[in-house]
Order: sequence, then structure tokens, then C-alpha cells
Amino acid sequence: MDTRSTQLLKGTLDMCLLATIAQRPCYGYEMVQQLAQQGLDLVSEGSIYPLLSRLQHSGYIESYLVASRDGPKRKYYRLLPAGAKQLEQWQAEWEMFAQAVEHILKGARSDAQSRAAYPTTDC
Amino acid sequence: MHRAEQHTQQRIADLVDACAGYWELRGIAREHITEMQLELEQHLQQAVSDGKSLEAVLGPNPAAFAEAWAREMHPHFWRGGAVVLHALVYALSVVSTSALLSQLLAHAPAFTFTLFAAYLLTGSGLLALLLQLGGFLSPRISTRAGREALMLTGVVLAVLALRLAGLTVNWSMALLSWSWPMTIVLLVLAAFLFSLDYWLSSNSEPPSTASANWPALRAVTMFVASVGVFDVMMFVGSVAVFDFCQLALRLV
Repeated sequence: MDTRSTQLLKGTLDMCLLATIAQRPCYGYEMVQQLAQQGLDLVSEGSIYPLLSRLQHSGYIESYLVASRDGPKRKYYRLLPAGAKQLEQWQAEWEMFAQAVEHILKGARSDAQSRAAYPTTDC
Repeated sequence: MHRAEQHTQQRIADLVDACAGYWELRGIAREHITEMQLELEQHLQQAVSDGKSLEAVLGPNPAAFAEAWAREMHPHFWRGGAVVLHALVYALSVVSTSALLSQLLAHAPAFTFTLFAAYLLTGSGLLALLLQLGGFLSPRISTRAGREALMLTGVVLAVLALRLAGLTVNWSMALLSWSWPMTIVLLVLAAFLFSLDYWLSSNSEPPSTASANWPALRAVTMFVASVGVFDVMMFVGSVAVFDFCQLALRLV
């Protein structure tokens, strides 16, 4: 994954994790796998854990241990009502942000196309 | 289990151990550390079984990962003091028991705490800490022997540098000297601090690990045995070093 995508993912990873947990309770490695299935490969997978701890301390998610048949207990995370509310807010902010970026990019694209059709020397 | 698999399991265990040691120093509660260790170990094992490297999970700097996670766990400085208390209890127990043994066996009126004994005590503590935190190097130096060799090289180079700088040390120099009553006071203080340390750590342990049979008796036995081994090591070390020095002086 290139550096720009990495930076974009870094800034939105907490939101992505919250959205992943909102679908169904899951454990750390499962979240990484789900993100990878959506095309989001983390440079260091362990970076989810500090964020999960932060989300937990903020009261957005909670953890619980589930007994496993073939090994020790596994730690799962599930969404709390405060987390669902926060996710809605983050989604709205993200949509506004993405729309603004999309708008700028579309403007730049149409400018480039018109410049290609009518080339001028000045900027 | 294949040799390669055993080797990978050892690297994972060393890494997780290094993280746990770091988190303890940073003052994270014991019950949180146990959960963090479990979560990290399971993630590393699943990642490795999926063909990923340890760096893919922890990045190029495992210590930075441990610090990033520690920051989010709201550590308290005073909890890090538990490590200092462990070290203090151990050092005090070693010193007071070796004083008692020397006064009982040699019928010496006073016990002398030399610079060599102080060096051996602090050096052993630092070495134990460094060996644990050395697990952070596990992704780069895969074997424990390799990491230990690197640390040993560092120590030897530091000693050589100090020697070249002209530093000479009188190892038999007396730092402290005390008689019988003080030895008894130190022994009582060591026993009190050990009880306090045990009480504090058993209160912060999760119930599943504290529910072993006779945990207090086991802890006391292990502690007394390790103090005894250290006393013997210190005695043998002192004799060996001083005899070696005397022999070297005679030859020169």
C-alpha cells in the first residue's frame, strides 16, 4: 500500500474499527482480516490495539473473554450505545469531507480537460 | 513440533515477554497486562500461521508499538514502583541473609558490604531487565543466544572503554559495615517488605492465576531458594574474583 493510502487509513482507522465492530462482535485478528478483505491492508497490524483501547476507554466499545475449544480465552469487542452514536457522527463528518474532496477533484478534472481542449500559455 | 516452529514460538514468547516487562515498568495494572499479553500472543500466532512476519504485526520497532499501547492504557507512575519494590526486597534479602551467614559461619563480629557485592547485585538486576527487554530485538536477532551475545559484547566494550579511560576500581573497598543487631533489623525489614510485596501483587493478580494450590507457600519457597542461590553465587564470585586478582598480582 502506498504512503498516501497509509496516511489516509491512519486518520480513519478508529472509525473503520468502530464500523467493523458495529457489524458484529469480533476479535483483533478478525478485524484486520475484515479490513484486508475490503482492500485496507495495515502496515502494522498491531496498531489496532492502541486504538481499540482508546475506543474502550472512551466508552464506545467493551471487551469480553470468550472460552475457546482449542486454546485459551479470546478477547472480543462489541459496540456500546455511545459507540453507535459516535459512529453515526463520524460517518456524517466523513461523508461531508469525502464530498468536499470529491468536489475539488471533479473541478480539477474538468479544468484539466478544458485545458487540454483549449491550451493556453498562462497559468 | 518442528524445530522451525519451536523457534518461531520462542521468538513470539520473547516478544510478548518484553512487551509485558515494558508495560509493568510503565505502570499498567497487572490484570490489564495479562489480557494484553494474551491478545498479542494470539494475534502473533495467527499471523505467523497465515504466513505473515512478526514485523507485519508489530512494525519495524516493537518497543514503539509497546509504548503506543501503554499510552492508551492510562498508566500510573506509582504502579511502576512495584518493580522497584521487587528489586528492593530481593536486594535487601540477599544482603541481610549473606550478612547473617557470614556472621554465623565465620563468627565475624561485623559484616562488610563491599563494592563488588554492590556491583554484583545491581549488575544482576540490570542484566535480568535487559535480557527481558532484549525480546524487542526478536524480529531482527531471531535467537536468544544472539541477543545475549550482543548484550555481552556491549558490556565488554563498555568495560574496555572505562579501562582505557584510566578508571581503576578497588573491588574489595568497604561500602558499609554493620554488626549483629543491624543484621536482625535488616532481616525483619526484608520479611516485612516481602509480605507487603506479596500482598500487593496477589491483590492485583487475576483470580485464575492466583488460585493455584498453596500460592503463598510456593512464592515463599521460590523466593528463599532464589535468594539462597544468589547468596552462594555472590560468595563464590567474591572468592573467585579476589583469588584471581591476588594470583594475577603475584604473577605480575
